[in-house]
Amino acid sequence: MLDPRSRFCLACGYAGAVILSTVPWALMAQYLLLLVLVWVWHRGGTYLRWLHLVTPMALFFGALTWWASCSLAGGGAAALKLLSLTTTFFLFFETTAPEDLGNSLVAAGLPFAAAFVFSAALQFVPLIGRKAHRVIEAQRSRGIPMEPGGAALRHWPALLAPLLIQAFTLADELAEAMEARGFSRPSRTFYRDYRMRPADWLAVAAAAGLLPTAIWWL
Amino acid sequence: MRPQPPFIQAAKLGFTYGRGSLRPVLSDIDLQAGDDRYLLIGGASGSGKSTLCRTFNSLIPHFYNGRLTGRVLVGGMDTRTLSVGDLFDRVGMVFQNPEAQLFNSTVAREIAFGLESLGLARSEIRRRIGEAAAAVGIEDLLERFPHDLSGGEQHLTAVAAILALRPRVMILDEPFASLDPLATARLRRVLAEIGARGPTRLIVCEHRLALTAPDADRMIVLHGGRIVADGAPVAVLAGDVRPWALEQPLAAAASLRLGLRPVVLDVGDLPVGGDSRERLADLLPSPPLAGNGDVLLSVENLCAHYRQRPVLRDVSFALRRGEIAALVGANGSGKTTLARHINGLARPVAGRVLVCGRDTRRVSTSALAANVGLVFQNPDSQFFKLTVAEEIRVGPRALGIEAEDWIALLARKLGLTALMQRAPFRLSGGEKKRVAVAAALAVRPELLVFDEPTAGQDLFFRQALGDLLLGLAEEGRAVLMVTHDLGFAERCASRWLVLGNGTIAADGAPARIMADAGLLRRCGLMPTDAFRLRTRLEAASHA
Repeated sequence: MLDPRSRFCLACGYAGAVILSTVPWALMAQYLLLLVLVWVWHRGGTYLRWLHLVTPMALFFGALTWWASCSLAGGGAAALKLLSLTTTFFLFFETTAPEDLGNSLVAAGLPFAAAFVFSAALQFVPLIGRKAHRVIEAQRSRGIPMEPGGAALRHWPALLAPLLIQAFTLADELAEAMEARGFSRPSRTFYRDYRMRPADWLAVAAAAGLLPTAIWWL
Repeated sequence: MRPQPPFIQAAKLGFTYGRGSLRPVLSDIDLQAGDDRYLLIGGASGSGKSTLCRTFNSLIPHFYNGRLTGRVLVGGMDTRTLSVGDLFDRVGMVFQNPEAQLFNSTVAREIAFGLESLGLARSEIRRRIGEAAAAVGIEDLLERFPHDLSGGEQHLTAVAAILALRPRVMILDEPFASLDPLATARLRRVLAEIGARGPTRLIVCEHRLALTAPDADRMIVLHGGRIVADGAPVAVLAGDVRPWALEQPLAAAASLRLGLRPVVLDVGDLPVGGDSRERLADLLPSPPLAGNGDVLLSVENLCAHYRQRPVLRDVSFALRRGEIAALVGANGSGKTTLARHINGLARPVAGRVLVCGRDTRRVSTSALAANVGLVFQNPDSQFFKLTVAEEIRVGPRALGIEAEDWIALLARKLGLTALMQRAPFRLSGGEKKRVAVAAALAVRPELLVFDEPTAGQDLFFRQALGDLLLGLAEEGRAVLMVTHDLGFAERCASRWLVLGNGTIAADGAPARIMADAGLLRRCGLMPTDAFRLRTRLEAASHA
C-alpha cells in the first residue's frame, strides 16, 4: 500500500495530465482507466451516487464551453475533463482517509494543528450536509416552501441562520471534545506508520513524469 | 499510615459564565470525589451538573470564559495551574452529544486519538484499542465511520475512547439521554463492569435516577448550583427529591409508601403483600382514554426504503381524533422514517398515507403543515428569527393564517409569555422544546407528531408536556409520539404501535404489549417499572 503522500502526488499528476490533454482519444482513455480503477476497487455503488451529483455539473460546463467556443468537440472534451478530474479525486478520497493524508504531512513536518484543520474540514463536509438537510426538512414541516426550485431561494435565511448557528455550536463542542482528548499535547505519535518507501518514490517520479508526457504526446 | 487525600477536592467552588454580573451557575460547592466506585450527580436541567464536571478536568477555567471562585484540587494540584492536556488521561470525559465528540474517520482511530496524544508506541496503541473495544463490546465496529453508527454505538465508542486512556476517573454527562431501552441496558452493564473491575472510577451526571441510582454507591444532588444532598442513594432517595425537579424512582416511592427503611431501588426487590395494591395504587399511571373520533391519519400498506434497503414493509394503521399513540421500537427499526412519511417529507415506495383525507403523494410537505405538525428532536434545526414571538409566527405567516389570539393562548399554556421577546437560540433545552411545540401548534394542525419529545428533559418539562398532550387530545387532535421513553409513553399514550423489522409487530394498549415478553425481546424493548410493579401486585393479590 502506498503512502498517502505518494498517492496524493499520483492524483495530482494524473489530474495535471487530464488538464493538459487535448486529444479526444487520450481524454477518453484517461476516463476509462479511472472507471477500471473504480471497478477494481469495488467503488461502483458509491461512484454511481457521486456521478448523480457531478454529471449535471459536467453537462452544464460542457454546454457552456460549447456555447463559448462554438465547438461541440470542445464542449464534449470540457465535460469529459471535468468528469475525469472529479473522478480522480473521488478515487483518492475513497481510498485515503483524511487523517492519513493529514498525519503523513505531519510526519513530513507540517504542524499537527494545520493538518488536523485540513482533515477535519474534509470530514465535516458530509456532516454539515446532513445538518442542512435536517434544517430544510424542519422548515418545510412548518409550512415554509423550501422544496427545490426558485421559491426556496426567497427563504434562504430559514436555511442559513440555523445552519450557521449549528455549525458554530458543533465547532465549539468539537474543540472541547478534542481538547479533552489531548489535542494540544506535544509529542504526538501515530497509530499508523507513515514512511516513504522505494515504491512511494517511484510513484512520485511517475506522477512527475505524467505532466511532460501529457504535454508532448497528448 | 497517613490516609490518602481525596483525588478530587472542591472547596468553596463557584462559577459564573461570561464576564458580566450574571447569576452564578455553581455556588459554595464543597466536595470530595473521584474515590467512589460510581458517583451519581443528579439534578434537573440547568442545575449545574455539567459545569461542575467541567471543573474536574480543567475545561473550567481553561476552556470557558467566566469567573471561578474557590478552588478545585485534582491529585493535590490546583486546576488553575493544570491545563486540560495535563489532566485528560487522569480525568476523562464522555460528553452528552455523541455526534459532537467523534471526529475521526473510523472507530479505531477515534479510540487511538487520545493514545496518540499521550505519545504511546504504535504497538501499545493497538493493544489498548483492542482492550477498550472488547471491554465495551464494539470489536466488530472498529473500521466503521462513527457518524454512521446508532446513538448507542456512538456512546459506546466515546466510552471506549476514554477508557483506553485508563483514566483514574471517567465522567459521563447524561449518557442515557438518547438511547433506546436495549442500548441503555447495554451501557448500564458496561458501566457496572468498568466500576467493578477498577481502577477507573465513574462519575455519572443524570437526572433519570431510576436508571442510575441502583448502580451508584454514592449520589449527590445539585439544585440551583448548590449541593442539596449527598450520601448513599438509598439514603438520599429516602427523602422527597421532587422539590429539586427530580423524579423519585418508582421503587423508592413505593418503599416510602410501604414504610420500608432502607428504601429499595429496584421494583423487583419490593416486598409486596396482599394490601400493597391499595396502598400503591396512585403511584401507578392510569392510561388515558382511547380516542374514538373520526380517522385523521390513515397509513395503508406503506413500504419505504432507505439507501436502497427496505425499512418499512406493508405498514398499516389509523389514528383517530382524541387519540394519543406512541410509536416504539429499537433504534433503526424505522420509526423516524415512518414519521417522515406522515407529513410528506418522504414518499412511499408503495402504499399510501392519508392525512385528513389528503394523499401525501399529491401534496407538498409545506402545504401539509396546515394539517400535520412535526416537532423534531432538535429544535435548533428550525430557529432563525430574533425573537420567540417571531419564531412562532413563521408557520401561520407562511400559510397565510391569522393566529394572533391563538398564539397568545399557546404562549400562556406553554409558559412562554415571559420569553416572547427573548432570542430562541439563547433559551435552555426545555424552553427551546416548548417554543418548537408552540411553533408547530401555531397553525392549528389536527395531527401532531413528536420525535423523541422527552430526550434529555427533566421532570418539570415531562409533566408539562404530558399535560399538554392530554389537552391536545381533549381538543380533538390526534398525537403520535416517536419515543424511547417507555415510562412517558405508558403514562400519556392509550395505544402503542411497536415497530420491529420494518413492520407493525404489535398494536394495542401498553399493558397488553408489555405482557408479551417474547415480543419485547424481539423488538428491543423492556417492561417499565410501573408495569413490573403492577404485575407483582396482581400476582400478590391473587396469591
